[in-house]
Amino acid sequence: MRSRFSLAPHTARVLVRRDFLSALKGWGLYVAAFVSLLASSFILRSHLGAIKENNILISSDPLNYPLFISLVVISFYLAIISVISISREKDQGTLEVLFYGPVNCSSYLAAKYIKDMLLYLVMVCFFFVYFGAVSGFTNLAFSWSLVKAIFLSIFLVSCIVSFGLFISSLTSRMRTSIIWLVGILLVFLAVQIFHTMLINLEEEALSSSLLYLRKTLEMVSHGIGWISPFSYLNRGMQSIAIGSTLLYGMSILYSLVYSFVLLVFSVLILEAKGVRG
Amino acid sequence: MKKSSLFFTLILALLLGLLVSRGLAQAPPIREQLVYSLNVFDGKTYTSGFCPRGEDTIYIIANENNAITARTTLVYFWPITARYMAGFKTLNEEVEGTLELLRDGKVIASLEKEDNVVFYPEGYFAENSKMYLHEEAHAFLQKYEDATKEYYVRIDEYYEETREYREAFEEFLESIGERREAGEELSRTQVEAQMPKQPSPPEGVRFYTTPVSKQYILDLPQGTYQIRLRARDGTIAQDSQKNLVAFVRRRGGTIGYEITPGNRWTMKENSNDPSRTIYASGRNTLYLRPFLQDEYNDFYYNKLLDPQNVGTSERWIWVHTTPIKNALLDLLSKGKLLEKIERAPYYVKQIPGPELGYEILEYKEEEFPERSPSFEGHKLEVSSVSGRGKYDFRLEKGEGEVMEGSEREILFVRKEDTNLLHIISIFPLIVGVVVFIQRKRRAS
Repeated sequence: MRSRFSLAPHTARVLVRRDFLSALKGWGLYVAAFVSLLASSFILRSHLGAIKENNILISSDPLNYPLFISLVVISFYLAIISVISISREKDQGTLEVLFYGPVNCSSYLAAKYIKDMLLYLVMVCFFFVYFGAVSGFTNLAFSWSLVKAIFLSIFLVSCIVSFGLFISSLTSRMRTSIIWLVGILLVFLAVQIFHTMLINLEEEALSSSLLYLRKTLEMVSHGIGWISPFSYLNRGMQSIAIGSTLLYGMSILYSLVYSFVLLVFSVLILEAKGVRG
Repeated sequence: MKKSSLFFTLILALLLGLLVSRGLAQAPPIREQLVYSLNVFDGKTYTSGFCPRGEDTIYIIANENNAITARTTLVYFWPITARYMAGFKTLNEEVEGTLELLRDGKVIASLEKEDNVVFYPEGYFAENSKMYLHEEAHAFLQKYEDATKEYYVRIDEYYEETREYREAFEEFLESIGERREAGEELSRTQVEAQMPKQPSPPEGVRFYTTPVSKQYILDLPQGTYQIRLRARDGTIAQDSQKNLVAFVRRRGGTIGYEITPGNRWTMKENSNDPSRTIYASGRNTLYLRPFLQDEYNDFYYNKLLDPQNVGTSERWIWVHTTPIKNALLDLLSKGKLLEKIERAPYYVKQIPGPELGYEILEYKEEEFPERSPSFEGHKLEVSSVSGRGKYDFRLEKGEGEVMEGSEREILFVRKEDTNLLHIISIFPLIVGVVVFIQRKRRAS
């Protein structure tokens, strides 16, 4: 176990540097950041329109919802780049070459994870600049709660990155990885929608098979709440909206545990499947 | 790919199933159920509701009188709101028996029904009310009935005085006509001075007391209990067992505001926390109604209002309890006192025409005879120009003493720069271009 999870810091650092610089030199991050901030801008314009229409808005954190919208967009981008990160290298055969050197699974995965998180930290810088400028232009407060939300988002994004890496470790083709990611997210969505619809039907009016289905979906839906990384994102943002310090702390803790567990599983799967997987 | 195709086919089938299931809608079945009819204290007044069979817990505020009864009624599920509804108008039979109160499985009290009334000191539609029991209940009802009787006596007197006034007025008109015909010149002031005085109608009874009703009264310390109804034959009535949670406020006595924008009378907002900024735009007239407020758990409080409500147990909400009437509102800009605003009555007048709306006017009894003010509050007129984008307000009690927790901030949003928001969002692309150019330079 000790050798399996031992990190080679120098190797990991080299891998992080290589991947991070490569991602910074590409257009993906900047386009994703632009799209996410543009989505926020539309929400903010609508907010300001509502203030003019209704005369007032009472809020302690008017920028939190636009941040949440940006986060959802950027999370999809990070989920896709993390889900293809391992499978692409398997697909192209570079992973096999890499593993002839002093690289082990845990160092490799840690490097991928750190690279994605560093990319998100670049995004965090964009958030600070963007929301600072928005606050200056519109007079909407750049509150302490927004800073807390941005800080929490680092942990929530960690769940999305580790989820992407986990799926990537399971697949050996880039296209299959993306199909799996989209498919899993669609299943999560379908279960939630179906469950919500069944809840809105009268219990006594349901046939016994639908009743069992409702109970099953209730359990599955509850389980998805702990499996889907987007549920962590949703819960985290809710803890900010509620203003509960306990939930905020729990969100960080759950995200750390979730990321750790998925990364460990990813290492084990990558080891079991091998570099040609 | 075969696996993926199968996967997507399953999802499609699931979604189609959803659509088909919606098409099976039909009239909801109605069932006879034992429910608990509730009249519970919500922190300021009494709220009625019912707890259907599907809900296993009733929530009440501790150390306050709360009234409940067990009733048999018709219950149906309303899919649009996903709630059970009670048809009390069709079937409303009281289930007789003794209400047993249990704690940790042991019966701690057997309750019989008690006489009670709800007393509304400022009228039925005012904010506050209180429940009285036994002799006090009868006394309050008697007080209301006496006041009502007295009012009707005064109304009879008023009608009599009005009849006398009309006769006197006709006589007066005749005599004025005769005097003018006789050549007497009378000024307007002289005529008005001799004119009979029109009687004014008596003031109605301002307070209200409900009729005496007999219900089980729950006035319990904080805690979790169970209730069940033991029928007259000694058996436990079916579906009568429920959990009962008596909860208390977390904090109390702070100040919240109900804010009504001048141009949107129906759209009220609450400012219950000093950390919450009030954002405004352009020129604004705001009507502020300050309240003392208590903080309750969101889940418990929502369940108290209706056991079928949902709530978040980690969230806490403020509930306005008592209006603050004897305070001045200080309006400040950059720490400088601009105005001290008194509380005043206002009347909401409907404006007819194609743009149906409202106008909020200062209430004066002579201008709106036989009408009561719609509300009382502090009128705040602010604009982004005079306040330079920021105002503060607070409540002042007595000799310049600022009421703690009453401070709020009004910020004016700048709408003219909203197009810049889209331009700001381009800046990551600019960073990308800079990185791209630097890379090209290094490569060359």
